[in-house]
Amino acid sequence: MAEPVLEVRDLVKHYPVRNGLLRRSVSAVKAVDGVSLTLDRGRTLGLVGESGSGKSTLARVLVGVETPTSGQVLVDGEDVSRLSRAGRKQLRRDVQMVFQDPYTSLNPRMSVNEIVGEPFAIHGIDPAGGRRAAVSELLELVGLDPDHANRYPHQFSGGQRQRVGIARALALRPKILVCDEPVSALDVSVQGQVINLLEDLQAELGLSYLFVAHDLGVVRHIAHDVAVMYLGRIVEQGAEAEVYDAAQHPYTQALLSAVPVPDPSVRLVTSSRPVEPTPVAGPVETRVPTSSTGSVGAIGSVGPTGSVGAIVLEGDPPSPVDPPSGCPFHTRCWLAPTLPEARTDAAPAQPPAGRPDLGLRLVPTMCETDVPALVPRSADTSPGAASDVSHVVACHFARELVDPRVEV
Amino acid sequence: MSRTRSAAEEKTVNKDESCAPPPLLEVTDLSVEFRTPAGQVRAVDGLSYRVEAGRTLAIVGESGSGKSVSSLAVLGLLPDTATVTAGTARLDGVDLLALSRKEHRARCGDQVAMVFQDALAALNPVHTVGYQLTEALRARRGMSRADARKRAVELLDLVKVPNAKARVKEYPHEFSGGMRQRVMIASALSLDPAVLIADEPTTALDVTVQAQVLRLLAEIQAERQMGLVLITHDLGVVAGVADDVTVMYAGRAVEQAPVVPAYTAPAHPYTRALLRSIPSASGTGRLSVIPGRPPSLAARPSGCPFHPRCDAARDVCRTEVPPAAVPAKGRMSACHFASDIMAGQEPAPDGADEHSTGRTTAAGNAAATAFDRGDDRGDSGGDHG
Ligand SMILES: Nc1ncnc2c1ncn2[C@@H]1O[C@H](COP(=O)(O)OP(=O)(O)OP(=O)(O)O)[C@@H](O)[C@H]1O
Ligand SMILES: Nc1ncnc2c1ncn2[C@@H]1O[C@H](COP(=O)(O)OP(=O)(O)O)[C@@H](O)[C@H]1O
Ligand code: SF4
Ligand code: SF4
Ligand SMILES: [Mg+2]
Ligand SMILES: [Mg+2]
Repeated sequence: MAEPVLEVRDLVKHYPVRNGLLRRSVSAVKAVDGVSLTLDRGRTLGLVGESGSGKSTLARVLVGVETPTSGQVLVDGEDVSRLSRAGRKQLRRDVQMVFQDPYTSLNPRMSVNEIVGEPFAIHGIDPAGGRRAAVSELLELVGLDPDHANRYPHQFSGGQRQRVGIARALALRPKILVCDEPVSALDVSVQGQVINLLEDLQAELGLSYLFVAHDLGVVRHIAHDVAVMYLGRIVEQGAEAEVYDAAQHPYTQALLSAVPVPDPSVRLVTSSRPVEPTPVAGPVETRVPTSSTGSVGAIGSVGPTGSVGAIVLEGDPPSPVDPPSGCPFHTRCWLAPTLPEARTDAAPAQPPAGRPDLGLRLVPTMCETDVPALVPRSADTSPGAASDVSHVVACHFARELVDPRVEV
Repeated sequence: MSRTRSAAEEKTVNKDESCAPPPLLEVTDLSVEFRTPAGQVRAVDGLSYRVEAGRTLAIVGESGSGKSVSSLAVLGLLPDTATVTAGTARLDGVDLLALSRKEHRARCGDQVAMVFQDALAALNPVHTVGYQLTEALRARRGMSRADARKRAVELLDLVKVPNAKARVKEYPHEFSGGMRQRVMIASALSLDPAVLIADEPTTALDVTVQAQVLRLLAEIQAERQMGLVLITHDLGVVAGVADDVTVMYAGRAVEQAPVVPAYTAPAHPYTRALLRSIPSASGTGRLSVIPGRPPSLAARPSGCPFHPRCDAARDVCRTEVPPAAVPAKGRMSACHFASDIMAGQEPAPDGADEHSTGRTTAAGNAAATAFDRGDDRGDSGGDHG
């Protein structure tokens, strides 16, 4: 039976923005704005979403580097904020983090041996066989040459540095590993080794992972469940197969559509090259025409036959200091302007602050005024069709997306 | 022997290609070594590639395979501990590598520009974006402050940074990752280069923003008929944007081909293994991986540098360095069994046949013919994973 090892309830993390001479807090960066999640023991929860959506902030709160503004984090049923100092230290051992940035997360003046062995020192632990041997073993585990233990981070390439970070996080054999983009900097062959390694460790030690990554292919492979974040909130969550094969939220669909697939007949960009200078013998290249205007073609799936890049979101997500009213995605949503509701009850949406270039978008009033709740999709109303309560979506028109309409 | 045959074939191919438009940039037999405490190590070993106007060459390879070092060598930006020990990099008929450091940098600034792997590190946090965009213009073209500011706004507009007029006055930390990468691209374009080398320009970006940036690069490239060298480790990105691919391993080019045949019928076991190791939508089991790790530069394996990790290795691989074979027109594979691999066959087992090399060549010819007919041998590659 699923047994939660980590529970997050209504977690909020706001960073005050101070302004003016009085340094008064006038507003806040709503980095995480009401997130609830459950991670079961021995399972992997994938967390995806664009940069700035709050994934790393959530991760930092979970490992105890940051304190939440409100909400609860429970590790093994225990509310972390109620723990004693000693309890928190234990939590730090139990929940370890693999960082996003291999360039800055390693101290350049420490040798790899010192970096990987540091958690033993911090926690006053002497592993069987000695620290040196433990470090060698860890380096071997992550695919690094133990003979390089005396080297310094700058002597490794980016990918090698990331592996040092993973070895360090694994040192104390934590219960939960919060991995923030752990394989993003790695090459495919090594990525595979690390993912297989993480899966082995999970099976062997019952580790649970919160796995943040922007590579949706990697998340699909490693995660049992997937949560999609946008502007500090979860917009869709469910079992991996549900989210990938039956995405309900227009944002999830856009994300999936932008994933480049390793099939050269599916082009990510249209080539406007006049003539092929070198005649290429071989299969004819088919270029999928894609529009750069953000209009919508067919919905792609992450697969070799999907039309990649069919949905291109414009611009970056809005600022989390001043998120849009109603549905936070409404300023970029590709679906909303195509809905019949947008034409009948159209109220001109204001272009996002500071982005007059985006012009007017007509979206259903509801998208602008009502925050959609994260609820099980209600697509199937036929009797006997048990609605899948584990697949939740925050979109007023999610059920419309079962058969997405294509703009004509 | 097939090896001499291959070399001859390569010459023919090169001759054929000399009828094609001359490349903007042609790197030939480039080798770069580093002085390390462990002695002299070779990071780039005999790399050749050509960049043509309006085409995108993707350079892929694992960490440490020499992608960045080779680009830095072309641009004259190597650290002091590095030396170019061989090779030429011809730009407009001039060998950049034969120039003095100063001349080299001057020439590159104008004609070859680079977008670096880490946009935040490459931008100076204490200067405004506009100042940094036009540093080169003011220094090299003696542009006035007012003109420089105007040009900075144009450049930001070019890379589709909204509100360019206001945003030139902002600092790099006020820009998102995708916007910073656009600034880097704008800055690289400021002197209107003929060739742009982009080192992992989208690696740090989200897929949505990556799609925007790649599209932007492609548009600018097509408009200016620029040659683009895209360094990446993402085989999805390569498939999505490249015209040609160079796969690097341990400092060498192991396979060079137009992008479609490289994916449908890879001619080098390393390329094949890379393609198989991509997590696929359907695959839920263990990922196919390449065992081991890339060799350390100080302890390069004998024979074929890939042999300790290769699933097709035979005795000959341990002792003899594979030459640059030409298994089909316009393709190169540094593998003793290039033609077999390309045809989707495993090389004959050791000792099975005295004349195995002869057969390999025959298979190679058959494969080449198949390619001329436009056969799609889609399944010989490694889309299954
Ligand atoms: N300053 C240096 N001193 C010694 N060796 C170096 C130095 N810089 C790079 N190297 C070595 O040169 C090889 C190639 O490095 P390079 O940075 O080009 O790899 P890369 O393909 O760009 O890797 P990544 O994708 O991780 O950036 C690596 O083995 C690296 O360890
Ligand atoms: N210390 C901080 N002070 C102010 N804003 C912050 C701080 N840390 C993060 N933020 C903001 O919070 C938002 C979410 O950031 P982050 O969690 O790092 O995103 P992600 O990891 O998804 O890229 C961003 O807008 C970011 O600028
Ligand atoms: S609620 Fe409206 S704006 Fe939000 S995702 Fe759904 S359709 Fe788009
Ligand atoms: S030469 Fe031998 S070891 Fe090298 S890639 Fe070819 S088969 Fe593998
Ligand atoms: Mg982050
Ligand atoms: Mg590099």
